[in-house]
Amino acid sequence: MNTKAGWLLGAAAVCGLGLLSVEVQKVYAHHAFGAEFDPNRPVLLKGPVVRVEWINPHTWIHLETTKPDGKKEVWMVEGGTPNSLLRRGLKRDTIRPGEQIIVDGYQAKDRSNRANGRDVTLADGRKFFMGSSGTGAPYDQPGKDQRK
Amino acid sequence: MRPFLPTLPIATLLVMAALVWGAEIPRTPEGLPDLSGTYDIATLTPLTRPAGLGDRLTLTDAEAQAIAKRAAAVKAATSKASDPNREAPPEGGDGSEGAAGNVGGYNTVWVDNGSGAFKIDGKWRTSIITDPANGRMPPLTPQARKRAAERARYARPNKGDAFWITEGLSPGPYDDPELRPAAERCLLAFGSGGGPPMLPVLYNNLKQIVQTKDRVLILNEMVHDARVIRIGGEHEPPDIRRWLGDSIGHWEGDTLVVDTANFNDTPALGNATRNLHVVERFTRIDEKSLLYAFTVEDPTVWTKPWSGEILWPATDQRIYEYACHEGNYSFAGILRGARLLEAETLEKQKKQPAK
Repeated sequence: MNTKAGWLLGAAAVCGLGLLSVEVQKVYAHHAFGAEFDPNRPVLLKGPVVRVEWINPHTWIHLETTKPDGKKEVWMVEGGTPNSLLRRGLKRDTIRPGEQIIVDGYQAKDRSNRANGRDVTLADGRKFFMGSSGTGAPYDQPGKDQRK
Repeated sequence: MRPFLPTLPIATLLVMAALVWGAEIPRTPEGLPDLSGTYDIATLTPLTRPAGLGDRLTLTDAEAQAIAKRAAAVKAATSKASDPNREAPPEGGDGSEGAAGNVGGYNTVWVDNGSGAFKIDGKWRTSIITDPANGRMPPLTPQARKRAAERARYARPNKGDAFWITEGLSPGPYDDPELRPAAERCLLAFGSGGGPPMLPVLYNNLKQIVQTKDRVLILNEMVHDARVIRIGGEHEPPDIRRWLGDSIGHWEGDTLVVDTANFNDTPALGNATRNLHVVERFTRIDEKSLLYAFTVEDPTVWTKPWSGEILWPATDQRIYEYACHEGNYSFAGILRGARLLEAETLEKQKKQPAK
């Protein structure tokens, strides 16, 4: 095995920095992403931001979408942790209500109008400031707290 | 001839000693190394060395540069604009693994795990673990292997189904909030970020040390775990158990040695049990960095102790509050989602009785 490739693979697995961000990490089930969102319910959401919740552990962006029949719906999209965003110079009011955004992701398993921010961009495709999902537990052991 | 040294004043001797040891480090009024400060321990050096590197502890400058360059390129590539006319992701999941759970995950903006490997004694490191020599944890004991196999029964890709019902797994992984991982419940940092041992994770890698004559406090940004280490004294009685264990410290020369025991049943370190015992060594090696070394033992988990070390570089950044419970909507959503999937599965089973 090419040692450099081995290193990179290992670094990707442990530190989460691979070709597609952390998507090459090994499977740890019972993790929040998998636990929270339904892979059978993909969504594409477009519309103006109506509210930003700048809270821990992760931000939530609310946007208003318009259904084909003209009916309006407000969806919540889970985003990155405020701590990391602050370090990148982003602030609570960086994203203002009215800003048009596009979100692709998957709906929550509880079927509420919530989705992960798989890819969140402005109307022209530029990346919005956030990532996605979960309660931030990528390295937890599967079922670590399982009772016997 | 008279001996030379005894004629010198004590202060001069101390200065000479400091120069000889290269100990140009900040000190407290008591003369102890001053460990206080804020440190960012994010690194691309993994805890466990990739198997292909064998016993190789270090990387060449060229290799380390290549890794940093590649990481930067990945960040740049994944920060590029997307197609504004894109469609929704594929039904059945996007195939992403691990943290992303088949629904897509953390993008580059979200992750904050450093831009390169770390250096100790002038050499780039291949892993945090240094002992065993292959940079990997020793084998698990038979009882730990059995526990891991039991947990693995619950590990599978996210298909958006109630597999625990169809496969008759009991208890189900979502039966009770207390069955969920401590990090998901906002009780502890994941990945042993709050430790001990205190390890780097995907983001929120800042640590702040506040030091007094008889206490050392370490604040961990992730889930704001705070360890208060008593200097001197004995451990509390073993019937008092803590999430972060009970830590007592003493000075060995210029190194703070911290001994931690009396963990509760689920320490943050993966696989560890209440028998976990960790010894950490904090040494200020220069004005800007600490060397953090540790040894882990849990005879009910690993067949022998293992050790590691990592550089803690000081940072000008500040720690932000990470009040995890504040908006942990996900947790209730996870449980609600499980109830809904269970109800649907049971309904389906009723309509299609087993043959």
